[in-house]
Amino acid sequence: MAEPQQALSRTFPVKPKLKAKSKKPSKTPESKYWSSFKSHTIPNLISSITSLSFSPATPHHFAAAYSTSLTLFNSKTLEPISSISSFKDVVSCASFRSDGLLIAASDHSGLVQVFDVKTRTALRKLRGHTRPVRLVRYPRSDKLHLFSGGDDAVVKYWDVAAESGVVEFRGHKDYVRCGDGSPASSELFATGSYDHTVKVWDVRVSNSDAAMKINHGKPVEDVIFLPSGGLIATAGGNCVKIWDVIGGGKLLYSMENHNKTVTSICVGKIGRDGGEGSEQYRVLSVGLDGYMKVFDYSKFKITHSMRFPAPLLSIGFSPDCATRAIGTSNGVIYAGKRKVKGEVESGLREFPSLGLMEEPQRRVLRPSYFRYFHRSQGEKPSEGDYLITRPKKVKIAEHDKLLKKFRHKDAFVSALSGKNPENVVAVMEELVARKKLLKCVSNLDTEELGLLLAFLHRHSTVPRYAGLLMGLTKKVVQMRAEDIIASDVLKGHIRNLKRSVEEEVRIQQSLQEIQGIISPLLRIAGRR
Amino acid sequence: MIKGGKSLVSSPPVFSNDAKKLLVCTGCTVSIFSTSTSLQITELEGHTALVTSVVVVPAFTPSSKILCYCWTSSLDGTVRYWDFSLPELMKTVDIRLPIFSMVIPGILSQLAETDGKTPNLFAYLSVENTKIQDDQPKVHRKILKCNLTKSRLAAGVILAETQQPELITISSSGKFFGVRNKRKLHVWEVIAHDHEGAPIKKITLHHTKNLTVFAFHPTERIVAAGDVTGRILIWRSFGRRTFSMGDGLMNGRAMNNEDERPGVRGDDDADSCATWHWHSAEVKVLSFSSDGAYLFSGGKEGVLVFWQLDTGKKKFLPRIGSPLLYFATSLDPSLSSVSCSDNRIHLLKMPSMEILKSISGIKLPCSFPEIYEGLHSRFIFDQTAGLVAFRTENYCIQFYSLFDDRENFEVQICERNHQPSDDVTVVVTLMVLSPDGSMMSTAETKFPEEGLGGLVCLKFWTSGSQSKGFILSTIIYEPHRDAGISAIAFHPTRHMAVSSSYGGDFKIWACSHEIQQRDQTLQNSGWTCHAVGSYKRKPMTAATFSADGSVLAIAAETVITIWDPEKNVLVAVIGETLEPITMLSFIGKSEYLVSASRGSKSQLSLWSLSKLSESWSYKLQAEAVACVMDGSYFAVLTLLPRSSKHTELTETKIDGRDGAILLFNVGEPIPVTTWFVKKAKGGGLAFIHVNSASFKGNVSDGKLPPALLAYINGNHEYVLFNPYNLEAHEPSMVVREKPVGIEDETGKFGYASIYGALPEFDAKRNQTELAPLLPSEKPWETIFCGSSHNLPPITKLCSAFLESLLEKRTPVISD
Repeated sequence: MAEPQQALSRTFPVKPKLKAKSKKPSKTPESKYWSSFKSHTIPNLISSITSLSFSPATPHHFAAAYSTSLTLFNSKTLEPISSISSFKDVVSCASFRSDGLLIAASDHSGLVQVFDVKTRTALRKLRGHTRPVRLVRYPRSDKLHLFSGGDDAVVKYWDVAAESGVVEFRGHKDYVRCGDGSPASSELFATGSYDHTVKVWDVRVSNSDAAMKINHGKPVEDVIFLPSGGLIATAGGNCVKIWDVIGGGKLLYSMENHNKTVTSICVGKIGRDGGEGSEQYRVLSVGLDGYMKVFDYSKFKITHSMRFPAPLLSIGFSPDCATRAIGTSNGVIYAGKRKVKGEVESGLREFPSLGLMEEPQRRVLRPSYFRYFHRSQGEKPSEGDYLITRPKKVKIAEHDKLLKKFRHKDAFVSALSGKNPENVVAVMEELVARKKLLKCVSNLDTEELGLLLAFLHRHSTVPRYAGLLMGLTKKVVQMRAEDIIASDVLKGHIRNLKRSVEEEVRIQQSLQEIQGIISPLLRIAGRR
Repeated sequence: MIKGGKSLVSSPPVFSNDAKKLLVCTGCTVSIFSTSTSLQITELEGHTALVTSVVVVPAFTPSSKILCYCWTSSLDGTVRYWDFSLPELMKTVDIRLPIFSMVIPGILSQLAETDGKTPNLFAYLSVENTKIQDDQPKVHRKILKCNLTKSRLAAGVILAETQQPELITISSSGKFFGVRNKRKLHVWEVIAHDHEGAPIKKITLHHTKNLTVFAFHPTERIVAAGDVTGRILIWRSFGRRTFSMGDGLMNGRAMNNEDERPGVRGDDDADSCATWHWHSAEVKVLSFSSDGAYLFSGGKEGVLVFWQLDTGKKKFLPRIGSPLLYFATSLDPSLSSVSCSDNRIHLLKMPSMEILKSISGIKLPCSFPEIYEGLHSRFIFDQTAGLVAFRTENYCIQFYSLFDDRENFEVQICERNHQPSDDVTVVVTLMVLSPDGSMMSTAETKFPEEGLGGLVCLKFWTSGSQSKGFILSTIIYEPHRDAGISAIAFHPTRHMAVSSSYGGDFKIWACSHEIQQRDQTLQNSGWTCHAVGSYKRKPMTAATFSADGSVLAIAAETVITIWDPEKNVLVAVIGETLEPITMLSFIGKSEYLVSASRGSKSQLSLWSLSKLSESWSYKLQAEAVACVMDGSYFAVLTLLPRSSKHTELTETKIDGRDGAILLFNVGEPIPVTTWFVKKAKGGGLAFIHVNSASFKGNVSDGKLPPALLAYINGNHEYVLFNPYNLEAHEPSMVVREKPVGIEDETGKFGYASIYGALPEFDAKRNQTELAPLLPSEKPWETIFCGSSHNLPPITKLCSAFLESLLEKRTPVISD
């Protein structure tokens, strides 16, 4: 037998129609991680951001190269700290030394300069390139040398202290655009060039032939060593390729998920605190199509993808996994910041110490204290406890209460004066079911009619509600024409309504045009 | 054979003396329910027609409270006396007139027991005189007096004649009883020592509106009556002039104010008449509380109103959800019952007005505005679990167990509040269960208000845990734009369904199960559109899948289109009927497809998919078609045509039977068996699979039939029987007959139209001959076998041999 009490006392409040849930699969833990970077835009930088580099030393500030200046940003607050603007031409590349104290920057005049990060003074000027320098990079651990490359297709290896070149490599046939030092050895580095090749150089072998040559097939925009040192990722055209260096430069995988040229790649790390999946490296790539993609090179799978509203030129990822920065071609940096647990814990660590101080002084509760009567009220249920919950109080909205009393017009007005258009439509639908909607409309006074007209103006062209509201709008205007003519306020509403109707007509027309374009295509596609 | 689905609310229920049992008239039996568990305890079987009233013999001493005797009256013209604790029939009084109501004043007054010898017991009966129809064509419903002790009618005592069969109401002391007669109220006083032919005094109270119900106050001379407009009239001190004897106190202050009688109409014998008005429609329930302080009233609104008699103050028990019909009080002051028109009896705990228990019967048919002509919509059957589902008025679907004859559960389809007096604006138009009963699909339509806000909505449900109820899985708003849905069908094996619309397209829906990762156990499943199809923009009117699910048949008005549901490719188009097809079904696993169409040229056709043509067709109006899931039989419930040639011939035989169930084998167009049934309009038919657990019925021969045929008539009474066992018990509601040939066969379709009619089958042929006869035992082979001394005498042998020859030749001749 059915439970009678339940059957009788049930009342159903009016409910808006359900919305279609997106069919998108819910986020994987990894994409949750990548979208946990709280986005923050740093706007109004003058020109395109050509390079972003993070300091290897804590607190991992990052330098953005744009126009003729190099700005240092705090990776926590994302505020600019300092700016170096003693460049004669556009800065193309910057690189921190492994201790984060010095930064080398190159510009289009062919000059490579080394600055002290603190004082912003140029300590060394390395002259030697005849054309714009596009690449300057400190090796991963070596503090004394750096290498650079430029549009003159020459790669140079410098002794920074002496301001003199040590080796020149003349293997490339076109502009050298990118390069990276090997994490395994500070003598080994790779450079990528527009002649479609990536060459791995060894400074110990002074002949001008490369230790290894990889043909990417497209002008190489970026090249990085992956953290093991055995793999190289190259970017060029719309693909990112993974190469096995130890295995003699074998192509492992080609990721072609970008629609346009991939401009920059970097290594990202899933720095989740402990647990499964932490300390995994990913390749982050950005392209002119505005997408940032996260590529898992162990599974050869794209694990996350994110879109930005501008062509992206550069990307950087902080070694502590707390910040990532993406530079666009129109002078905006999309920085992302993530809360790192360790940081939170360090903040919390102070409180227990305070608590320890207080603990011994806590007095035994006696019935004479007020707190005695509140004791153990905040107790949490333990594992095995059987919980008796209070029956949930049913919240009845104002319009539901009025509908229950059959005060239809009042319910209608109460819903209209609320903010949620879904509720208004739900009440309207309920009134239709009771055959009272038009009666309600005819009973509205001028002020309430203004409310209704304003609502119709705002929502009658929303596709979800249009089916009901368009018909209703027509009826309302027909029924209440005299009242509308009499009042100026209502006339204003009608003007607004007219405008939104005209706009909708325009939209419909353009949609029909599009349909006219598409339908023959579909016809053709269907014929195959 | 299992019967069930009786109405619980055909007559008022009665409590037993200890208030532990409730006696409810259910068809031709009286069912006794326990008030503590609300389950049926036992049944009083014996009447052959509808039982109309039950009178429990009251107990006056606490010790006699356990006595369980009752009188029942029935339309079969008998009054019976029962001991309902056993249950046992003790006495039958046959008066040969259908009794609509009975009261026995004698047993209510204690005087009867104080006398030394038991006096004659008199009952007052409301009967219909069926014998003299010609003499008095109009008034032949009377109130008669009957001597129950001597089992005869009191000669010549006709208390009143009424237009309609009326319910006699009696006061709880047994002193007064009365009937309503249009705008009048007749009240009689029972004298203390009643005897046959004793003069009975009568007064009449008048009102300007038709009265509907009335009640006597338990102690005072107050009568309350309700009328059709919802007013309640309270006459105080009625019958003071006429029934003056024995009531000294009243008599004393009687004559003082002769002319001050507020509200009393004309010459009526009452002191005052007050009017209370709360009900907006007809008052159906009136009853005084046992102490007389309160008056209960109820009506179409489904609200029980408690009036304080002295002050007229009201309390309410709202939201009962259905019009109220009867209110019964028990001797236990804390228990009473209210019967609702949705075939439900609620047991109320009195002072607090709580509903303790409900006894739910099968939902009675309620009128839904039929916007689309559909066959599937009225009932759905869960063939494996033996459930039938009905739409109810409050937007629910009731699942009723056919084997247990009780409600299993209800599913709320639309989340809307239901007021019984509302106009119906939202209708559940379709409901379909998947063959395994695990999924359900419903379609509902909201009617627009002047072209605004109409909505068609398709819902998919999955069965909940322990097969109790269904959980909403997906809602699809406007699945076919604003066009109505004509049919839904489930794929027999996969999570797939098809819905066809009058808007000219059909959609195939697929259920995608997305089982998420192990840390998120939430199983997200939803139905999404898999394919859309249409055929010449014709309205799609019916749809069905074949038994293996490889073929989808959809009726596009008059033609049947055959599709591949996987690839959504039109495979074939079959034939044409005269009217749009409303029902399509594959017959078991065979290649045949049966279709039914309605309208002026309604038609039942069988189509062969291998030949892509019509096999045969009848001009029949099919109400329902049921197919065996595995097998080649199908049954059709058809309405007998009015202008049948056989009406004169079979009128007496058929009386009241307006439909027939025809059981066909796929191979032949002649029905294997025919049953004639009553109230076939709005009926339903299904084959129910039997598993031994659920089948507790009378299996005489030990083996279970493969499937039972369930027939539900228009009043939602049902019967389950074995269609194959032709010599089975003859049900009273369903009467098997020899197949009276349906000679309105439209033989001019397809084959017949080209090649002429096939040889007529013999309409008068006996059914037993149609059943496949085993070859006779060939006695000529056996009778001469054996040793010669065992052989019977030659005279016997000879006759047996000759008889066998004769038998052998008969079929040859008949062919």
